[in-house]
Amino acid sequence: MAEKDQIYRCLNPVGIELPVKTSPLAPRLDTLDGKTVHFSITGEPDITIALDKRLKADYPNVNWTTKKSYTPMPVQLSEEEMKTTDAVILGVCW
Amino acid sequence: MPYIAKLEKAGIPTVLIDLEDQHEMVKQEALAAGVPNIRYIPASRTIPGPEDVEEWIAPMLEMLTRPLTEKEKESGMYTPAQDRILFEGTLDEAQEFYQQTRIVPEPLNAPISVYTDGLPIIIPTEERVKEMLKGTSHKPEELITYQSDRGGRFDRSLNKGDVVRFQPRLFTATVEKVAVNAVMAGCKPEHLPAVLAIAESGVQTGTTVFNNQWMCLSGPYAKEVGMNAGLGMLGPGNPAGMAIGRAYQLMAINLGGAIPGINRMSSIGSPINRVGLAFAECADKLPPGWKGLNEEFGFKKDDSVILVMGTEGGLNGAQFSPGGYRALQKSGHGGMARKLGVKGIPGPHNWLDWILPDIWVGEREGGRIFIMVHEMAKHLYDIGYKSKGEVLEYIWKKSFEPLKKYRDRSWVDLTTNGWLGNEPQSGKPWKELPDDYMVPAGGDKPDSSCIIVCGSDEEICFEITGSVRGMWGSQPVYSIDAWR
Repeated sequence: MAEKDQIYRCLNPVGIELPVKTSPLAPRLDTLDGKTVHFSITGEPDITIALDKRLKADYPNVNWTTKKSYTPMPVQLSEEEMKTTDAVILGVCW
Repeated sequence: MPYIAKLEKAGIPTVLIDLEDQHEMVKQEALAAGVPNIRYIPASRTIPGPEDVEEWIAPMLEMLTRPLTEKEKESGMYTPAQDRILFEGTLDEAQEFYQQTRIVPEPLNAPISVYTDGLPIIIPTEERVKEMLKGTSHKPEELITYQSDRGGRFDRSLNKGDVVRFQPRLFTATVEKVAVNAVMAGCKPEHLPAVLAIAESGVQTGTTVFNNQWMCLSGPYAKEVGMNAGLGMLGPGNPAGMAIGRAYQLMAINLGGAIPGINRMSSIGSPINRVGLAFAECADKLPPGWKGLNEEFGFKKDDSVILVMGTEGGLNGAQFSPGGYRALQKSGHGGMARKLGVKGIPGPHNWLDWILPDIWVGEREGGRIFIMVHEMAKHLYDIGYKSKGEVLEYIWKKSFEPLKKYRDRSWVDLTTNGWLGNEPQSGKPWKELPDDYMVPAGGDKPDSSCIIVCGSDEEICFEITGSVRGMWGSQPVYSIDAWR
Protein backbone atom coordinates (compact mmCIF):
# COMPACT_ATOMS: atom_id res chain seq x y z
CA MET A 1 0.00 0.00 0.00
CA ALA A 2 1.36 3.42 -0.83
CA GLU A 3 2.23 5.36 2.28
CA LYS A 4 -0.33 8.02 1.47
CA ASP A 5 -3.07 5.38 1.40
CA GLN A 6 -2.18 3.88 4.78
CA ILE A 7 -5.03 3.97 7.27
CA TYR A 8 -4.39 5.28 10.76
CA ARG A 9 -6.44 5.26 13.94
CA CYS A 10 -6.36 8.80 15.30
CA LEU A 11 -7.08 9.60 18.91
CA ASN A 12 -9.65 11.94 20.41
CA PRO A 13 -8.11 15.05 22.02
CA VAL A 14 -11.35 16.20 23.66
CA GLY A 15 -11.66 16.18 27.44
CA ILE A 16 -13.93 13.78 29.27
CA GLU A 17 -17.36 15.20 30.00
CA LEU A 18 -18.55 13.63 33.22
CA PRO A 19 -22.11 12.33 33.49
CA VAL A 20 -24.45 14.81 35.10
CA LYS A 21 -27.59 14.05 37.06
CA THR A 22 -30.14 16.52 35.75
CA SER A 23 -32.92 17.89 37.90
CA PRO A 24 -36.28 19.40 37.02
CA LEU A 25 -36.85 23.05 37.74
CA ALA A 26 -38.55 23.95 40.98
CA PRO A 27 -42.33 24.42 40.63
CA ARG A 28 -43.26 28.01 39.92
CA LEU A 29 -45.27 30.23 42.21
CA ASP A 30 -49.00 30.66 41.69
CA THR A 31 -48.66 34.37 42.46
CA LEU A 32 -46.01 36.80 43.67
CA ASP A 33 -48.37 38.56 46.08
CA GLY A 34 -47.55 37.82 49.69
CA LYS A 35 -44.41 35.92 48.75
CA THR A 36 -40.79 36.56 49.78
CA VAL A 37 -38.73 37.12 46.64
CA HIS A 38 -34.98 37.60 46.95
CA PHE A 39 -33.04 39.79 44.52
CA SER A 40 -29.40 38.63 44.42
CA ILE A 41 -27.40 41.45 42.89
CA THR A 42 -24.12 40.73 41.14
CA GLY A 43 -22.71 43.94 39.73
CA GLU A 44 -24.06 46.09 36.85
CA PRO A 45 -25.43 48.80 39.14
CA ASP A 46 -26.87 50.73 36.20
CA ILE A 47 -29.30 47.87 35.68
CA THR A 48 -29.70 46.48 39.17
CA ILE A 49 -30.33 49.78 40.95
CA ALA A 50 -33.08 50.57 38.43
CA LEU A 51 -34.53 47.07 38.73
CA ASP A 52 -34.46 47.14 42.52
CA LYS A 53 -36.45 50.40 42.53
CA ARG A 54 -39.02 49.15 40.02
CA LEU A 55 -39.57 45.87 41.81
CA LYS A 56 -40.33 47.58 45.10
CA ALA A 57 -42.47 50.29 43.52
CA ASP A 58 -44.43 48.13 41.10
CA TYR A 59 -44.92 45.09 43.32
CA PRO A 60 -45.58 46.40 46.82
CA ASN A 61 -47.37 43.22 47.89
CA VAL A 62 -44.15 41.23 47.54
CA ASN A 63 -41.73 40.96 50.44
CA TRP A 64 -38.48 41.91 48.73
CA THR A 65 -35.11 40.92 50.19
CA THR A 66 -31.72 41.80 48.72
CA LYS A 67 -28.07 40.84 48.99
CA LYS A 68 -25.54 42.73 46.96
CA SER A 69 -22.15 41.98 45.45
CA TYR A 70 -20.24 44.06 42.95
CA THR A 71 -18.51 40.91 41.70
CA PRO A 72 -19.94 37.99 39.70
CA MET A 73 -20.00 35.89 42.90
CA PRO A 74 -23.39 36.23 44.61
CA VAL A 75 -23.75 36.62 48.35
CA GLN A 76 -25.66 33.45 49.01
CA LEU A 77 -28.70 32.95 51.18
CA SER A 78 -28.02 30.98 54.32
CA GLU A 79 -29.81 27.68 54.87
CA GLU A 80 -32.12 29.45 57.30
CA GLU A 81 -32.86 32.24 54.84
CA MET A 82 -33.62 29.73 52.09
CA LYS A 83 -36.38 28.25 54.25
CA THR A 84 -38.30 31.51 54.16
CA THR A 85 -37.51 32.53 50.55
CA ASP A 86 -40.08 31.71 47.88
CA ALA A 87 -38.17 32.76 44.74
CA VAL A 88 -34.86 34.30 43.64
CA ILE A 89 -33.86 36.72 40.90
CA LEU A 90 -30.10 36.68 40.16
CA GLY A 91 -28.44 39.28 38.02
CA VAL A 92 -26.62 40.49 36.17
CA CYS A 93 -24.21 37.67 35.51
CA TRP A 94 -21.65 38.04 32.76
CA MET B 1 -24.49 28.77 38.28
CA PRO B 2 -23.89 26.32 41.15
CA TYR B 3 -25.87 28.71 43.34
CA ILE B 4 -28.82 28.81 40.94
CA ALA B 5 -28.71 25.01 40.74
CA LYS B 6 -28.67 24.73 44.52
CA LEU B 7 -31.74 26.97 44.80
CA GLU B 8 -33.73 25.17 42.11
CA LYS B 9 -32.91 21.77 43.61
CA ALA B 10 -34.04 23.08 46.98
CA GLY B 11 -37.44 23.92 45.47
CA ILE B 12 -36.88 27.67 45.10
CA PRO B 13 -37.80 28.92 41.61
CA THR B 14 -35.26 31.29 40.05
CA VAL B 15 -34.70 33.51 37.06
CA LEU B 16 -31.28 34.62 35.84
CA ILE B 17 -30.60 37.97 34.18
CA ASP B 18 -27.66 37.66 31.78
CA LEU B 19 -26.38 39.48 28.70
CA GLU B 20 -27.61 38.26 25.33
CA ASP B 21 -24.25 37.19 23.94
CA GLN B 22 -23.72 35.03 27.02
CA HIS B 23 -26.71 32.72 26.47
CA GLU B 24 -24.66 29.79 25.15
CA MET B 25 -22.32 29.99 28.09
CA VAL B 26 -25.30 30.10 30.47
CA LYS B 27 -26.78 26.98 28.84
CA GLN B 28 -23.48 25.09 29.06
CA GLU B 29 -22.96 25.97 32.70
CA ALA B 30 -26.56 25.16 33.55
CA LEU B 31 -26.15 21.67 32.10
CA ALA B 32 -22.89 21.12 33.95
CA ALA B 33 -24.64 22.18 37.18
CA GLY B 34 -27.50 19.73 36.58
CA VAL B 35 -30.26 22.21 35.78
CA PRO B 36 -30.24 22.38 31.99
CA ASN B 37 -33.58 24.16 31.66
CA ILE B 38 -33.03 27.21 33.87
CA ARG B 39 -34.98 30.29 32.91
CA TYR B 40 -33.03 33.37 31.94
CA ILE B 41 -33.60 36.73 30.29
CA PRO B 42 -31.09 39.12 28.72
CA ALA B 43 -30.33 42.65 29.81
CA SER B 44 -28.80 45.13 27.40
CA ARG B 45 -25.16 46.12 27.19
CA THR B 46 -26.06 49.56 25.88
CA ILE B 47 -29.58 50.71 26.80
CA PRO B 48 -29.62 52.78 30.03
CA GLY B 49 -30.85 50.80 33.04
CA PRO B 50 -34.30 52.33 33.60
CA GLU B 51 -35.33 51.95 29.93
CA ASP B 52 -33.83 48.48 29.74
CA VAL B 53 -35.64 47.30 32.87
CA GLU B 54 -38.92 48.66 31.50
CA GLU B 55 -38.55 46.28 28.52
CA TRP B 56 -38.20 43.02 30.43
CA ILE B 57 -39.31 43.39 34.05
CA ALA B 58 -42.74 41.89 33.43
CA PRO B 59 -41.57 38.88 31.35
CA MET B 60 -38.79 38.31 33.87
CA LEU B 61 -41.21 38.06 36.77
CA GLU B 62 -43.52 35.90 34.68
CA MET B 63 -40.70 33.35 34.60
CA LEU B 64 -41.25 32.88 38.33
CA THR B 65 -44.97 32.14 37.94
CA ARG B 66 -45.54 30.56 34.50
CA PRO B 67 -46.09 26.81 35.05
CA LEU B 68 -43.31 24.47 34.03
CA THR B 69 -43.34 22.81 30.63
CA GLU B 70 -42.95 19.04 30.33
CA LYS B 71 -39.32 19.54 29.35
CA GLU B 72 -38.66 21.66 32.42
CA LYS B 73 -40.09 18.88 34.61
CA GLU B 74 -37.64 16.29 33.22
CA SER B 75 -34.89 14.68 35.24
CA GLY B 76 -32.38 12.01 34.40
CA MET B 77 -28.74 11.46 33.62
CA TYR B 78 -26.82 13.29 30.94
CA THR B 79 -24.24 10.75 29.81
CA PRO B 80 -22.28 12.04 26.85
CA ALA B 81 -20.58 9.29 24.92
CA GLN B 82 -17.01 9.60 23.79
CA ASP B 83 -14.87 7.41 21.63
CA ARG B 84 -11.17 7.00 22.21
CA ILE B 85 -10.62 6.83 18.45
CA LEU B 86 -11.93 10.01 16.84
CA PHE B 87 -11.11 9.25 13.22
CA GLU B 88 -9.83 6.45 11.04
CA GLY B 89 -8.37 7.15 7.62
CA THR B 90 -5.32 8.34 5.72
CA LEU B 91 -3.20 11.17 7.09
CA ASP B 92 -4.54 13.58 4.48
CA GLU B 93 -8.13 12.64 5.35
CA ALA B 94 -7.30 12.99 9.03
CA GLN B 95 -5.84 16.46 8.52
CA GLU B 96 -9.04 17.55 6.81
CA PHE B 97 -11.12 16.05 9.59
CA TYR B 98 -9.16 17.56 12.47
CA GLN B 99 -9.19 20.98 10.78
CA GLN B 100 -12.98 21.11 10.49
CA THR B 101 -14.64 24.31 11.62
CA ARG B 102 -18.01 25.43 12.97
CA ILE B 103 -19.64 28.80 12.45
CA VAL B 104 -19.97 30.57 15.77
CA PRO B 105 -22.83 33.08 15.61
CA GLU B 106 -22.83 36.67 16.84
CA PRO B 107 -20.98 38.23 18.53
CA LEU B 108 -18.35 36.28 16.53
CA ASN B 109 -19.98 35.29 13.22
CA ALA B 110 -17.03 33.43 11.68
CA PRO B 111 -15.69 29.87 11.39
CA ILE B 112 -13.80 28.57 14.40
CA SER B 113 -11.78 25.34 14.40
CA VAL B 114 -13.33 22.50 16.33
CA TYR B 115 -10.14 20.69 17.39
CA THR B 116 -7.27 23.04 16.58
CA ASP B 117 -6.14 26.62 17.04
CA GLY B 118 -6.94 27.31 13.41
CA LEU B 119 -3.72 25.85 12.05
CA PRO B 120 -2.89 22.32 10.83
CA ILE B 121 -1.70 19.96 13.49
CA ILE B 122 0.41 16.82 13.76
CA ILE B 123 -2.15 14.05 13.46
CA PRO B 124 -2.35 12.12 16.75
CA THR B 125 -2.16 8.58 15.42
CA GLU B 126 -2.08 5.76 17.95
CA GLU B 127 1.58 5.21 17.11
CA ARG B 128 2.54 8.84 17.69
CA VAL B 129 0.65 9.06 20.96
CA LYS B 130 2.27 5.83 22.17
CA GLU B 131 5.66 7.33 21.37
CA MET B 132 4.74 10.57 23.13
CA LEU B 133 3.78 8.66 26.28
CA LYS B 134 7.39 7.51 26.63
CA GLY B 135 8.04 11.01 27.93
CA THR B 136 6.42 10.29 31.29
CA SER B 137 6.33 7.51 33.87
CA HIS B 138 2.63 8.20 34.53
CA LYS B 139 0.19 5.67 33.13
CA PRO B 140 -1.91 6.65 30.09
CA GLU B 141 -5.19 5.96 31.86
CA GLU B 142 -4.28 8.02 34.92
CA LEU B 143 -6.55 11.02 35.47
CA ILE B 144 -4.85 14.39 35.69
CA THR B 145 -4.86 15.37 39.37
CA TYR B 146 -3.17 18.06 41.41
CA GLN B 147 0.27 16.86 42.46
CA SER B 148 0.35 19.17 45.48
CA ASP B 149 -1.95 21.43 47.52
CA ARG B 150 -2.55 24.61 45.53
CA GLY B 151 -4.49 26.85 47.87
CA GLY B 152 -7.20 29.00 46.36
CA ARG B 153 -9.85 31.56 47.23
CA PHE B 154 -13.60 31.99 47.51
CA ASP B 155 -14.96 28.47 47.92
CA ARG B 156 -12.41 26.86 45.62
CA SER B 157 -9.51 25.21 47.39
CA LEU B 158 -7.44 22.92 45.18
CA ASN B 159 -5.81 20.01 47.02
CA LYS B 160 -3.35 17.26 46.18
CA GLY B 161 -5.17 14.36 44.60
CA ASP B 162 -8.19 16.39 43.48
CA VAL B 163 -9.12 15.72 39.88
CA VAL B 164 -8.34 18.69 37.66
CA ARG B 165 -11.47 20.13 36.04
CA PHE B 166 -10.46 21.90 32.87
CA GLN B 167 -11.97 25.30 32.29
CA PRO B 168 -14.50 26.32 31.14
CA ARG B 169 -16.46 23.07 30.58
CA LEU B 170 -15.08 21.35 33.71
CA PHE B 171 -14.02 18.31 31.69
CA THR B 172 -11.48 15.87 33.04
CA ALA B 173 -8.60 14.26 31.17
CA THR B 174 -6.20 11.37 31.30
CA VAL B 175 -2.46 11.43 30.74
CA GLU B 176 -3.17 9.96 27.30
CA LYS B 177 -5.52 12.84 26.42
CA VAL B 178 -2.77 15.30 27.30
CA ALA B 179 -0.35 13.29 25.15
CA VAL B 180 -2.79 13.47 22.23
CA ASN B 181 -2.83 17.27 22.46
CA ALA B 182 0.95 17.32 22.86
CA VAL B 183 1.33 15.37 19.61
CA MET B 184 -1.03 17.78 17.88
CA ALA B 185 1.01 20.74 19.10
CA GLY B 186 4.20 19.34 17.62
CA CYS B 187 5.78 18.36 20.93
CA LYS B 188 8.41 15.67 21.37
CA PRO B 189 8.21 13.06 24.15
CA GLU B 190 10.71 15.01 26.26
CA HIS B 191 8.27 17.95 26.25
CA LEU B 192 5.49 15.88 27.79
CA PRO B 193 6.39 16.48 31.48
CA ALA B 194 6.06 20.24 30.90
CA VAL B 195 2.79 19.77 29.02
CA LEU B 196 1.43 17.60 31.85
CA ALA B 197 2.43 20.27 34.38
CA ILE B 198 0.57 22.81 32.25
CA ALA B 199 -2.45 20.49 32.17
CA GLU B 200 -2.36 20.39 35.97
CA SER B 201 -3.17 24.12 35.89
CA GLY B 202 -6.57 23.44 34.31
CA VAL B 203 -5.64 25.65 31.35
CA GLN B 204 -8.01 28.48 32.17
CA THR B 205 -8.91 30.96 29.46
CA GLY B 206 -10.19 33.82 31.62
CA THR B 207 -13.34 35.85 31.34
CA THR B 208 -14.62 38.56 29.13
CA VAL B 209 -11.80 41.03 29.20
CA PHE B 210 -8.24 40.48 28.08
CA ASN B 211 -6.82 37.34 29.59
CA ASN B 212 -3.34 36.38 28.46
CA GLN B 213 -2.17 32.82 29.01
CA TRP B 214 1.58 32.34 29.12
CA MET B 215 4.20 30.20 30.81
CA CYS B 216 7.75 30.55 32.07
CA LEU B 217 9.95 27.55 32.85
CA SER B 218 12.53 27.56 35.61
CA GLY B 219 15.12 24.93 36.49
CA PRO B 220 17.39 22.55 34.59
CA TYR B 221 14.60 21.05 32.48
CA ALA B 222 14.48 24.17 30.31
CA LYS B 223 18.02 23.57 29.08
CA GLU B 224 17.46 19.81 28.80
CA VAL B 225 14.79 20.37 26.18
CA GLY B 226 16.46 23.35 24.53
CA MET B 227 14.16 26.22 25.56
CA ASN B 228 15.21 29.74 24.58
CA ALA B 229 16.03 31.93 27.56
CA GLY B 230 17.98 34.46 25.55
CA LEU B 231 17.38 36.91 22.76
CA GLY B 232 13.86 36.69 21.36
CA MET B 233 12.61 34.32 24.01
CA LEU B 234 9.06 35.67 23.70
CA GLY B 235 9.27 35.40 19.92
CA PRO B 236 9.13 32.60 17.36
CA GLY B 237 11.72 30.08 16.27
CA ASN B 238 12.45 27.87 19.26
CA PRO B 239 10.84 24.44 18.68
CA ALA B 240 10.47 23.52 22.36
CA GLY B 241 9.01 26.89 23.33
CA MET B 242 6.63 27.02 20.38
CA ALA B 243 5.35 23.46 20.86
CA ILE B 244 4.95 23.67 24.63
CA GLY B 245 3.21 27.03 24.34
CA ARG B 246 0.91 25.71 21.64
CA ALA B 247 0.02 22.70 23.77
CA TYR B 248 -1.60 25.04 26.29
CA GLN B 249 -3.95 26.50 23.71
CA LEU B 250 -4.83 23.13 22.19
CA MET B 251 -5.58 21.76 25.65
CA ALA B 252 -7.73 24.81 26.39
CA ILE B 253 -9.71 24.10 23.22
CA ASN B 254 -9.99 20.34 23.62
CA LEU B 255 -9.65 19.49 27.30
CA GLY B 256 -11.34 22.67 28.46
CA GLY B 257 -13.85 23.00 25.66
CA ALA B 258 -13.08 26.70 25.23
CA ILE B 259 -14.79 28.18 22.18
CA PRO B 260 -14.46 31.88 21.30
CA GLY B 261 -17.86 33.51 21.25
CA ILE B 262 -19.49 30.74 23.28
CA ASN B 263 -17.57 30.42 26.52
CA ARG B 264 -14.24 32.06 25.78
CA MET B 265 -15.47 35.60 25.74
CA SER B 266 -12.30 37.67 25.75
CA SER B 267 -13.72 40.58 23.81
CA ILE B 268 -11.01 41.39 21.30
CA GLY B 269 -8.90 38.34 22.14
CA SER B 270 -5.18 38.47 22.80
CA PRO B 271 -2.26 37.96 20.44
CA ILE B 272 -0.38 36.26 23.28
CA ASN B 273 -2.84 33.38 23.04
CA ARG B 274 -2.31 32.83 19.34
CA VAL B 275 -0.34 29.59 19.17
CA GLY B 276 0.53 30.01 22.87
CA LEU B 277 3.50 31.52 24.69
CA ALA B 278 6.10 29.54 26.66
CA PHE B 279 9.64 30.66 27.43
CA ALA B 280 12.30 30.11 30.07
CA GLU B 281 14.00 32.39 32.57
CA CYS B 282 17.74 32.83 32.17
CA ALA B 283 18.89 31.53 35.54
CA ASP B 284 22.54 31.54 34.42
CA LYS B 285 22.56 35.31 34.20
CA LEU B 286 20.73 36.15 37.41
CA PRO B 287 22.70 38.60 39.55
CA PRO B 288 24.35 37.04 42.62
CA GLY B 289 21.78 36.25 45.28
CA TRP B 290 18.79 36.72 42.99
CA LYS B 291 16.69 33.59 43.09
CA GLY B 292 15.11 31.86 40.17
CA LEU B 293 11.35 31.41 39.99
CA ASN B 294 11.68 27.87 41.32
CA GLU B 295 13.31 28.98 44.56
CA GLU B 296 11.02 32.01 44.88
CA PHE B 297 8.02 29.69 44.93
CA GLY B 298 9.38 27.27 47.48
CA PHE B 299 11.15 24.78 45.24
CA LYS B 300 14.85 23.96 45.21
CA LYS B 301 17.36 25.45 42.81
CA ASP B 302 17.59 22.18 40.85
CA ASP B 303 13.85 21.62 40.70
CA SER B 304 12.20 22.15 37.36
CA VAL B 305 8.92 24.04 37.45
CA ILE B 306 6.62 26.00 35.22
CA LEU B 307 4.84 29.24 36.09
CA VAL B 308 1.42 29.07 34.40
CA MET B 309 -0.22 32.44 34.23
CA GLY B 310 -3.46 34.00 33.08
CA THR B 311 -2.92 37.73 33.42
CA GLU B 312 -5.64 40.28 32.77
CA GLY B 313 -4.02 43.09 30.90
CA GLY B 314 -1.56 43.88 28.20
CA LEU B 315 2.11 43.86 27.45
CA ASN B 316 3.98 47.13 27.82
CA GLY B 317 7.53 47.91 26.92
CA ALA B 318 9.97 49.86 24.83
CA GLN B 319 9.33 53.00 26.86
CA PHE B 320 12.98 53.83 26.31
CA SER B 321 15.37 53.05 23.48
CA PRO B 322 18.22 50.62 24.16
CA GLY B 323 20.66 53.30 23.04
CA GLY B 324 19.02 55.74 25.42
CA TYR B 325 19.46 53.23 28.23
CA ARG B 326 23.13 52.76 27.43
CA ALA B 327 23.65 56.53 27.34
CA LEU B 328 22.05 56.81 30.77
CA GLN B 329 24.20 54.13 32.35
CA LYS B 330 27.51 54.73 30.58
CA SER B 331 27.79 58.48 30.83
CA GLY B 332 24.54 60.00 32.10
CA HIS B 333 23.31 61.44 28.81
CA GLY B 334 20.03 61.50 26.92
CA GLY B 335 16.39 61.76 27.90
CA MET B 336 16.56 59.14 30.60
CA ALA B 337 19.40 60.98 32.32
CA ARG B 338 17.55 64.30 32.00
CA LYS B 339 14.44 62.86 33.65
CA LEU B 340 16.46 61.32 36.47
CA GLY B 341 18.52 64.48 36.97
CA VAL B 342 21.86 62.68 36.49
CA LYS B 343 23.09 64.45 33.40
CA GLY B 344 26.77 63.84 32.90
CA ILE B 345 27.05 61.37 35.77
CA PRO B 346 28.01 57.83 34.77
CA GLY B 347 25.86 55.01 36.21
CA PRO B 348 24.75 52.62 37.29
CA HIS B 349 21.52 54.54 37.84
CA ASN B 350 18.20 53.24 39.07
CA TRP B 351 16.41 52.95 35.74
CA LEU B 352 13.23 51.88 37.54
CA ASP B 353 12.74 55.50 38.50
CA TRP B 354 12.37 56.28 34.83
CA ILE B 355 9.37 53.93 34.30
CA LEU B 356 7.81 54.26 37.77
CA PRO B 357 5.14 55.12 38.69
CA ASP B 358 4.06 55.90 35.11
CA ILE B 359 3.39 52.23 34.31
CA TRP B 360 0.24 52.54 36.42
CA VAL B 361 -0.87 55.91 35.00
CA GLY B 362 -3.80 55.29 32.70
CA GLU B 363 -3.18 51.56 33.02
CA ARG B 364 -4.76 48.93 35.17
CA GLU B 365 -3.77 48.83 38.81
CA GLY B 366 -2.22 45.69 40.27
CA GLY B 367 0.96 43.69 39.95
CA ARG B 368 3.25 43.52 36.98
CA ILE B 369 5.53 40.84 35.59
CA PHE B 370 8.81 42.61 34.83
CA ILE B 371 10.78 40.80 32.13
CA MET B 372 14.18 42.49 32.03
CA VAL B 373 17.44 41.66 30.30
CA HIS B 374 20.31 40.51 32.49
CA GLU B 375 22.34 43.70 32.12
CA MET B 376 19.51 45.76 33.55
CA ALA B 377 19.08 43.29 36.41
CA LYS B 378 22.81 43.54 37.10
CA HIS B 379 22.61 47.34 37.23
CA LEU B 380 19.94 47.05 39.91
CA TYR B 381 22.18 44.65 41.80
CA ASP B 382 25.12 47.06 41.50
CA ILE B 383 22.99 49.88 42.86
CA GLY B 384 22.31 47.77 45.92
CA TYR B 385 19.33 45.50 45.33
CA LYS B 386 20.74 42.20 46.54
CA SER B 387 17.55 40.27 45.90
CA LYS B 388 14.48 40.36 43.67
CA GLY B 389 12.45 40.92 46.82
CA GLU B 390 14.21 44.22 47.47
CA VAL B 391 13.48 45.37 43.94
CA LEU B 392 9.82 44.39 44.25
CA GLU B 393 9.57 46.22 47.57
CA TYR B 394 10.91 49.36 45.92
CA ILE B 395 8.57 49.06 42.94
CA TRP B 396 5.58 48.53 45.22
CA LYS B 397 6.36 51.55 47.35
CA LYS B 398 6.64 53.70 44.24
CA SER B 399 3.12 52.66 43.24
CA PHE B 400 1.33 54.37 46.14
CA GLU B 401 -1.18 57.06 45.20
CA PRO B 402 -3.88 59.04 47.02
CA LEU B 403 -7.21 57.25 47.55
CA LYS B 404 -8.96 60.08 45.70
CA LYS B 405 -6.96 59.19 42.58
CA TYR B 406 -7.30 55.44 43.20
CA ARG B 407 -11.10 55.80 43.22
CA ASP B 408 -10.97 57.15 39.68
CA ARG B 409 -9.84 53.75 38.44
CA SER B 410 -12.40 51.32 37.06
CA TRP B 411 -11.68 47.77 38.23
CA VAL B 412 -11.46 48.96 41.81
CA ASP B 413 -15.26 49.16 42.06
CA LEU B 414 -15.28 45.40 41.53
CA THR B 415 -12.09 44.40 43.33
CA THR B 416 -13.16 46.26 46.47
CA ASN B 417 -16.69 44.86 46.07
CA GLY B 418 -18.21 48.31 45.82
CA TRP B 419 -15.88 49.72 48.52
CA LEU B 420 -17.49 47.43 51.07
CA GLY B 421 -15.09 45.78 53.47
CA ASN B 422 -11.67 46.88 54.59
CA GLU B 423 -8.62 48.33 52.91
CA PRO B 424 -5.88 45.65 53.16
CA GLN B 425 -2.99 47.80 54.41
CA SER B 426 -4.77 49.61 57.24
CA GLY B 427 -7.54 47.13 57.94
CA LYS B 428 -9.98 50.05 58.06
CA PRO B 429 -13.24 50.31 56.09
CA TRP B 430 -12.63 51.83 52.69
CA LYS B 431 -15.47 54.27 53.18
CA GLU B 432 -13.89 55.72 56.32
CA LEU B 433 -10.52 56.52 54.76
CA PRO B 434 -9.67 60.11 53.79
CA ASP B 435 -8.98 61.21 50.23
CA ASP B 436 -5.27 61.60 50.88
CA TYR B 437 -4.82 58.09 52.27
CA MET B 438 -2.09 56.43 50.20
CA VAL B 439 -3.02 53.18 48.44
CA PRO B 440 -0.64 50.87 46.52
CA ALA B 441 -1.71 50.82 42.87
CA GLY B 442 0.85 48.07 42.33
CA GLY B 443 -1.06 45.36 44.17
CA ASP B 444 -1.75 44.45 47.78
CA LYS B 445 1.85 43.48 48.47
CA PRO B 446 5.27 43.62 46.82
CA ASP B 447 5.13 40.05 45.57
CA SER B 448 1.99 40.79 43.62
CA SER B 449 4.66 41.49 41.02
CA CYS B 450 7.40 39.27 39.74
CA ILE B 451 10.75 39.59 37.92
CA ILE B 452 11.92 37.32 35.13
CA VAL B 453 15.42 37.78 33.74
CA CYS B 454 16.10 37.28 30.04
CA GLY B 455 19.51 36.40 28.64
CA SER B 456 19.35 38.87 25.77
CA ASP B 457 21.80 41.78 25.61
CA GLU B 458 19.62 44.48 24.00
CA GLU B 459 18.45 46.67 26.83
CA ILE B 460 14.68 46.25 27.19
CA CYS B 461 12.22 45.69 30.00
CA PHE B 462 8.68 44.51 29.27
CA GLU B 463 5.88 44.59 31.79
CA ILE B 464 3.01 42.14 31.57
CA THR B 465 0.00 43.54 33.41
CA GLY B 466 -1.34 41.20 36.07
CA SER B 467 -0.57 39.76 39.45
CA VAL B 468 1.31 36.57 40.11
CA ARG B 469 -1.62 34.40 40.96
CA GLY B 470 -3.05 31.20 39.52
CA MET B 471 -6.62 30.23 38.80
CA TRP B 472 -8.92 31.00 41.73
CA GLY B 473 -5.99 32.64 43.47
CA SER B 474 -4.09 29.36 43.70
CA GLN B 475 -0.35 28.86 43.59
CA PRO B 476 0.64 29.28 39.92
CA VAL B 477 3.86 27.23 39.82
CA TYR B 478 3.70 23.54 38.93
CA SER B 479 6.38 20.89 39.23
CA ILE B 480 7.60 19.50 35.93
CA ASP B 481 9.60 16.87 37.82
CA ALA B 482 6.38 15.43 39.24
CA TRP B 483 5.36 14.50 35.72
CA ARG B 484 8.61 12.98 34.44
